[in-house]
Amino acid sequence: MKLNIDGLLVYFPYDYIYPEQYSYMLELKRTLDAKGHGVLEMPSGTGKTISLLSLIVAYQKAYPLEVTKLVYCSRTVPEIEKVVEELRKLMDYYTKQTKAKNDFLALALSSRKNLCIHPEVSSLRFGKEVDGKCHSLTASYIRAQHHSNPSQPVCQFFEEFDAVGRQVPIAPGIYNLDDLKDFGRRKGWCPYFLARYAILHANIVVYSYHYLLDPKIADLVSKELAKKSVVVFDEAHNIDNVCIDSMSVNITRRTLDRCQTNVETLQNTISRIKETDAAKLREEYRRLVEGLKEANVARETDMYLSNPVLPDEILQEAVPGSIRTAEHFVGFMKRFLEYLKARLRIHHVVQESAPQFLKDIYEKVCIDRKPLRFCAERLRSLLRTLEIADIADFSAVTLISHFATLVSTYSKGFTIIIEPFEDRTPTIANPVLHFSCMDPSIAIKPVFGRFQSVIITSGTLSPLDIYPRILDFRPVTMASFTMTLARTCLCPLIVGRGNDQVAMTSKFETREDFAVIRNYGNLLLEMSAIVPDGIVAFFTSYIYMENIVASWYEQGILENIQRNKLIFIETQDAAETSMALEKYQEACENGRGAILLSVARGKVSEGIDFVHHYGRAVIMFGVPYVYTQSRILKARLEYLRDQFQIRENDFLTFDAMRHAAQCVGRAIRGKTDYGLMIFADKRYARADKRGKLPRWIQEHLTDGSLNLTIDETVQLGKHFLRQMAQPFRREDQLGLSLLTLEQLQSEDMLKKIAQIAQQA
Amino acid sequence: MDDQGCPRCKTTKYRNPSLKLMVNVCGHTLCESCVEMLFVRGSGNCVQCNTPLRKSNFRVQLFEDPAIDKEVEIRKKVLKIYNKREFDFSSLKEYNDYLEQVEDIVFNLTNNIDVERTKQIMEQYQRDNKDIIQKNKAKLTREQEELEELLLQEQQVSEQRRLETLQEEQRQLQAKRKNKQALLDELEISKLPAAVLLAQHKDRAVQLETQIEKQKQNVKPANIFSTGIMMGQTVSFASVSRVEEVLYVYQPLCIDTYGPPVPELDQLGRLGYLNHVRTASPQDQAGGYSSGLACHRAIQDAFSGLFPS
Repeated sequence: MKLNIDGLLVYFPYDYIYPEQYSYMLELKRTLDAKGHGVLEMPSGTGKTISLLSLIVAYQKAYPLEVTKLVYCSRTVPEIEKVVEELRKLMDYYTKQTKAKNDFLALALSSRKNLCIHPEVSSLRFGKEVDGKCHSLTASYIRAQHHSNPSQPVCQFFEEFDAVGRQVPIAPGIYNLDDLKDFGRRKGWCPYFLARYAILHANIVVYSYHYLLDPKIADLVSKELAKKSVVVFDEAHNIDNVCIDSMSVNITRRTLDRCQTNVETLQNTISRIKETDAAKLREEYRRLVEGLKEANVARETDMYLSNPVLPDEILQEAVPGSIRTAEHFVGFMKRFLEYLKARLRIHHVVQESAPQFLKDIYEKVCIDRKPLRFCAERLRSLLRTLEIADIADFSAVTLISHFATLVSTYSKGFTIIIEPFEDRTPTIANPVLHFSCMDPSIAIKPVFGRFQSVIITSGTLSPLDIYPRILDFRPVTMASFTMTLARTCLCPLIVGRGNDQVAMTSKFETREDFAVIRNYGNLLLEMSAIVPDGIVAFFTSYIYMENIVASWYEQGILENIQRNKLIFIETQDAAETSMALEKYQEACENGRGAILLSVARGKVSEGIDFVHHYGRAVIMFGVPYVYTQSRILKARLEYLRDQFQIRENDFLTFDAMRHAAQCVGRAIRGKTDYGLMIFADKRYARADKRGKLPRWIQEHLTDGSLNLTIDETVQLGKHFLRQMAQPFRREDQLGLSLLTLEQLQSEDMLKKIAQIAQQA
Repeated sequence: MDDQGCPRCKTTKYRNPSLKLMVNVCGHTLCESCVEMLFVRGSGNCVQCNTPLRKSNFRVQLFEDPAIDKEVEIRKKVLKIYNKREFDFSSLKEYNDYLEQVEDIVFNLTNNIDVERTKQIMEQYQRDNKDIIQKNKAKLTREQEELEELLLQEQQVSEQRRLETLQEEQRQLQAKRKNKQALLDELEISKLPAAVLLAQHKDRAVQLETQIEKQKQNVKPANIFSTGIMMGQTVSFASVSRVEEVLYVYQPLCIDTYGPPVPELDQLGRLGYLNHVRTASPQDQAGGYSSGLACHRAIQDAFSGLFPS
């Protein structure tokens, strides 16, 4: 279908379009025109990805000078693959319609683990091992050694790529990870480095968040992306947490012990090299004295250890004299390490700011702020000079050096918390130093500053105005789109009481209450009797789930439920969970149906879709507040209040509601899908909670569906399910929630579409 | 830490949790009771390296590696003498060289390399730079100053926040009490129906809340001069190093007007241009105006851009 979006010709690879997709594209076009950032919320299952892709590709084709590149960031590898498939569909449609040969290059990029084709390296299981092994085969000095000594192993794929791969541009087309690997095998080139090189001139790049947000990686991979790129963060409802994680450092006693061995290895290597090859150290020393940036810094294989974000003016300066020679630097690291060890030997929790830490470290071991700042940079230079190939072992000392650099660079937005033990096990000493970032805008600021348009989109971004505040940017468009439906296929219900009129809530005071647990059990029991196929139930935490399930078992509720359906439980173990999930799906296929008990914020709640009969009902037991006693969270809340004027309660509720919405949204993955959404907590009925749900759920929450009892819920649910089970054909949707081109162009439809988007 | 123990009596932390390890200038450990026993007379030799030691110099070992304790000790001593700051040097490079020299001295002393010579160097330096050392004693480095400033700010902010919350609580409490009393009084005296009064009361309560929000005052910090400079900040008195550069040479401005040359200002009268403009009245001339100025400008305007370029 060819569309006219505000004067732009857009090729849309399907014969039908949802009205909200059209509206979404209009908003997107406006954002691109204004060269600004945008926040767009559209329910899952309404074709966000294809709308995004077709509009931005059309824009790129129409104005090749205005938008040179699309950078599409997604979260997981399967999601990346899905995006590439959609893109392939779109490009096929383009070639079919225009009859012109495709001149677009689009590719996916992932870690070495997913792209390596070296027979030995790719058989390793963990990403870190693969990276380390790859580095030991491709580092520049290894390759130099290979020249003089051919028995030194190198990666022939990389050699091949380095010899010819750069001159020959990769042919236009769409490459997902497997395509890249095939291409690499055919040519004998390393797919990983090929992809990293090719993103510079690709029109579309699809990769994970971390390549842009984690300063350590972004510096390597995404440094040279042009300003005129459009960056899209899909499924961005958790983007603030990703930002925070990428800037935080946790140091345990074990890290320090490993670091100790690292430092010792360094020292031994230095003394060895001093005897055999002192010139090398002298050369490094000379370079540092001159304050020269290393000339070979662009060697892509060496850029393995990158430094965290440093202001440029610091990087331009010469390394301070006190850590210039290798021995002095090792001594410096030793002192720093011993200091950290001494700090970890405590019996009560300490919380302090970065300046306090710096002051203390100066008093205790005479370490100034400036050499600390250069720590990461200096370590990098040293490791390269010492030509240590097996770099994976040095992760501990690298981590410490990053910590040193961060703590001395940022005086605001970070906090240091030293805990002698975990909250759950106060008797076992397990000291941890959390250096935690409280301001997500620090990590994402370079992205907003550098790129012309950044689009943040997801199914659940409500309330829209909080994201610009916590990420500290000014969007030109903020819009939330609803789902146009031919039939109401989602039925949100808020259950507040049991049949005995006891309030149902996971509130801390009453969560152990026998009546509450029994009522929750009854709710699940009743639902298991009326809902066909799969039911997914979410609890607020693993501990809470364990308690409740144990109690249900004692009360015999579990037995009653099992008469209706099989029960599967998510655990913290990933393998166990994926097994449970697989069996759950098998049970659903077999027709009798099953119940999956899982946890909000867990693996199931984030990445897994329950299409059609896999999820006919989602039950949310309680409000999934984050664990509020954690000191890191408390510090962050305080920071939010002081810096952004966001009250603690507002943020906590916002966070809980976005997770609740994420959970219940798992069941509806398209317009033909249907499902019950049951919020089992009376607190959901309050206006402040309800108002924070996404608009497409709120719309269907009427006064009649608030604060229900269990039997009322059963009545409503039965009615809804019976209605939904009627045959539903495409013709029923046409003209209402699914449009052909003619229908789209009609006058009153355009008027209707204008109402879909709600500007925030 | 558990496996650490006294090298003399072999007691470990594991067996005796209250074990206190001590360390002296040579960097070798001894437990507290051994120190008491061996150094009854106040001085003696180290069990491991035979260095003469004083009992008063024993300190509790802070770090796991006693070498670090020793190094920090030495470093503190060295830094007391080598206390030049960055602004005592004319260039960053010199400062860095100086830092490295200090580092070398500390390294040598800790690892017992050339101890005698290093000590001599130190003494020499101390003699040479007596006044600078004396002068710099009280000064902080620039970085430390920054840190102090940040810490101070932090303190102020938290103090301010505490005061604010305290004040606000009190204010709210008072206001609520007053409001309640007013309601009771009104209910007693007024002839309006109770429902109306209650509604009024509610309105007032809301207004009160908003007022409280507005009344928040800012406590001004009092450690900054009106110029914004921190109190107690040190200013460098080191002479500014002379910078040799090529001096600036004035070149008369030359504007291409794309027109015939404009006559000079003082020639205007002679050439008769001034006949065509209004002569300046004495009032005009008081401010330095002359009719030539206006005329000159008009001619410039008229002449420029006459030639096709």
